Amino acid sequence: MVHQSHFTNNMSIYIQSVSQISVQKPLTEEWFDNPILPKEAFAQSIEPDYKQFIPPAESRRMGRLIKRAITTSLSALKKGGCEMPDAIISGTGLGCIENTEKFLNAVIDNDEECLPPTAFMQSTHNTISSQIAIRLHCHGYNSTYSNQGTSFDSALLDAFIQLQLGQIRSALVGGHDEMTPDYFNMLSKINYWRKEDVNVDMMRQCDKEINSFSGSCSLSMLVGTDHTENTLCRLADIELFHSPMPSQIRDSLFKMLHANKLTLSDVDAVVASYSGNPNVDRYVGHYLTQAMSEFPVIWYKHLFGESFCSSAFGIYVAAMCLHKRLIPKLLLYNPKDAEIKNPKNILVFNYFGWNPSQPNVSLSLLSI
Amino acid sequence: MDGIVVTGMGVISALGRGVEQTASMLLQEKSGVDKMRILKSKYTSLPVGEVHETTEELLDSLHYRRDKVITRTTLLGQVALLEATQMAKLQKGLLEGKRVAFISATTVGGMEKSEQLYHDFLYGTEHSEYIALHDCGACTNMIAEITEQDIHYSMLTTISTACSSAANAFLLAANLLRTGRADIVVAGGTECLSKFHLDGFNSLMILDDEVCKPFDKNRKGINLGEAAAYLVLESPQTAQERGVAPLCRYAGGGNRCDAYHQTASSPNGEGAYQSMIQALEEAGLQPSDIDYINAHGTGTANNDETEGFAVMRVFGDRVPPISSTKAFTGHSTSAAGALEAVISILALTRNFIPVSLNFKEKIDSLNFTPVTQTIRNAKLRHVMTNSFGFGGNDTSCIFSKL
Amino acid sequence: MDQLIEELKKEIIEVLNLEDKKPEDIDENAPLFGGETGLDSIDALELIVMMEKNYGIKLQNAAEGKEIFKSVRTMAEYIKEHRTK
Repeated sequence: MVHQSHFTNNMSIYIQSVSQISVQKPLTEEWFDNPILPKEAFAQSIEPDYKQFIPPAESRRMGRLIKRAITTSLSALKKGGCEMPDAIISGTGLGCIENTEKFLNAVIDNDEECLPPTAFMQSTHNTISSQIAIRLHCHGYNSTYSNQGTSFDSALLDAFIQLQLGQIRSALVGGHDEMTPDYFNMLSKINYWRKEDVNVDMMRQCDKEINSFSGSCSLSMLVGTDHTENTLCRLADIELFHSPMPSQIRDSLFKMLHANKLTLSDVDAVVASYSGNPNVDRYVGHYLTQAMSEFPVIWYKHLFGESFCSSAFGIYVAAMCLHKRLIPKLLLYNPKDAEIKNPKNILVFNYFGWNPSQPNVSLSLLSI
Repeated sequence: MDGIVVTGMGVISALGRGVEQTASMLLQEKSGVDKMRILKSKYTSLPVGEVHETTEELLDSLHYRRDKVITRTTLLGQVALLEATQMAKLQKGLLEGKRVAFISATTVGGMEKSEQLYHDFLYGTEHSEYIALHDCGACTNMIAEITEQDIHYSMLTTISTACSSAANAFLLAANLLRTGRADIVVAGGTECLSKFHLDGFNSLMILDDEVCKPFDKNRKGINLGEAAAYLVLESPQTAQERGVAPLCRYAGGGNRCDAYHQTASSPNGEGAYQSMIQALEEAGLQPSDIDYINAHGTGTANNDETEGFAVMRVFGDRVPPISSTKAFTGHSTSAAGALEAVISILALTRNFIPVSLNFKEKIDSLNFTPVTQTIRNAKLRHVMTNSFGFGGNDTSCIFSKL
Repeated sequence: MDQLIEELKKEIIEVLNLEDKKPEDIDENAPLFGGETGLDSIDALELIVMMEKNYGIKLQNAAEGKEIFKSVRTMAEYIKEHRTK
């Protein structure tokens, strides 16, 4: 057993591969060069051909989100050259909400009679991680985080710590959230996102109007301690905070940089969770101004939309920029910024706060 | 002293409020499982382990207005969190420079309110403020508010692995402490009863219409329950610096996946077996060191037999005293791992072994019977508690005397 | 009886989501569970719900289903005898 006093932070942890299903072309990185710019506030994911990954006999009971999660998991494992991860850890804000609604509607409409057991069985959040485990016959560590906008961040932190401690050597970390018309409308009601059309220029203007849009997320990421030819980048650190002062973020940033023998000038950019919702973006902006004002800002929700697990795309975008040695103009929040070549270190800042006095925040550092 | 210690615990369940009441009910062999009184389900004949306080009574006890926008899952969590943090003296002034993390587990979250207000959410104009309280994470965030005068949590998160959720909170807590990411962690879980999950378990036809009989040959299923429980975990050094006397040690945990079926355990209990083995390895203990097992023991045909097989695989023909306390409390799903950790620690520190209520006849295929009479003056050094969930999310934790 | 069997085959395919199967692929005398059908305890629960919804038959516990769901024919026979709608 490893104890705190013996603990040293010298283990390198890598992001080996990522695979996603979203409003962008599924299971590819085509968005990097030819992104789809969504026009609807309730943007739909593009479904791949699931039959290539899951035989119909196996998928007959699976809801949409389970199919997506298994597909991105198998795809990420293949890309990363891994057959069996040591751990499967997912983040999901709402779990399989489609099945949850199906069961909930049945409870209400049928007065608790004749209820569909399959829908209930799939309504629990951990169904995602466990269905992946069943598909892979993986007996390793298996867990699920459901903490609103830091669900994926929590899953990644758990994996990171276990890798640091040498408890595991690889982990399949996922962020999986689907959206239904009913839940979309409910969250529109409480101003989480826009109800109708959107465009990117509107999203940039952080004024009074809500311009964020809903995009579902299924992203699987293989992380591990082996550096291979497939490795995308290094995950140098990740930290979670609850209602931090900006100065705490600044302190943490310095600690992270110091631990990795870096200085402020080594950081090429910060990925921020700007969404087009001024109620949120003003706080994101506040933290950036107070704690990370020296870096160009990358954003991603204009391409992937908002969901409880959209922070997974923040890590993904940073990893791809490092891997492709380019931060393209389309990812830069400030339209005046020019593309950045050969980035070496990118920060990822994620803010979630329905209650702005108690936000949950994460800061990660990714390096080549 | 090395490792991780428990310095506080808090609990509310069908057995009542607080650790003293819980211990007293266990020692008196009094079950809290009873007729449905608070949940508004049509299946009133199903016994449940309800917290015997209405939501209004919970609100009053926490000095909230009756119209406070909050869910029952959150209220239960707040009651347990207050007790745990007070016991561990997590008070302003005693936490200077200490990072305190909060990890809470739930699956049902705000469902109990959502199922009442769902048509308003969809079609109405009222009660929209409850939409933001539906999800699991919303509960954790709001639970934390009850201690905001004393504690600023440096991070918080929510685990949702169905019936093993709260036990997994302890595993993450231990790792946060081991890596120095937190100095103190409050970890556990909360779950209130809802029609949604009562009907869900009913649709799987695994609820018993009498008080459940874990490990009995003629067991018929689960009684659902509700509860919240938290432990405060920290290093012995931190506890000493703060002048807090530890209750026991957290010796280790194991999380493994059965990877067999969404609702059924594998015939030989592979995941359960591996999680117990892993917990023993992490604790650096042999099976023979375990003096008591608080079993998952839900009372379903499938769980009790496969858990029994797994126990036999780990402990051979020397199965230590084992009991399921689900007939006392009902199965409080996401909170069960924390509730039973509290029960296990009470047993460990007060030297007794709680009985497995309602047991009459041995399961043919098992080589052991559960404890049927409270064992007092039991000399316990190490206790194991099992928490197994849907999808084969199997977790075991071990607590040891100081 | 034959009509009920045909009806059941269609309902089973729908309820259990057997997308790749047609009614004629199901042998009414062959075992529904075990063997190559790949059906399990959850499918049995779905069939129990279907019997209640469509034929007004309420089973008290899942074990009763074991005999009834031996084959589509045994299922039809049971439904014919016990249906209330």
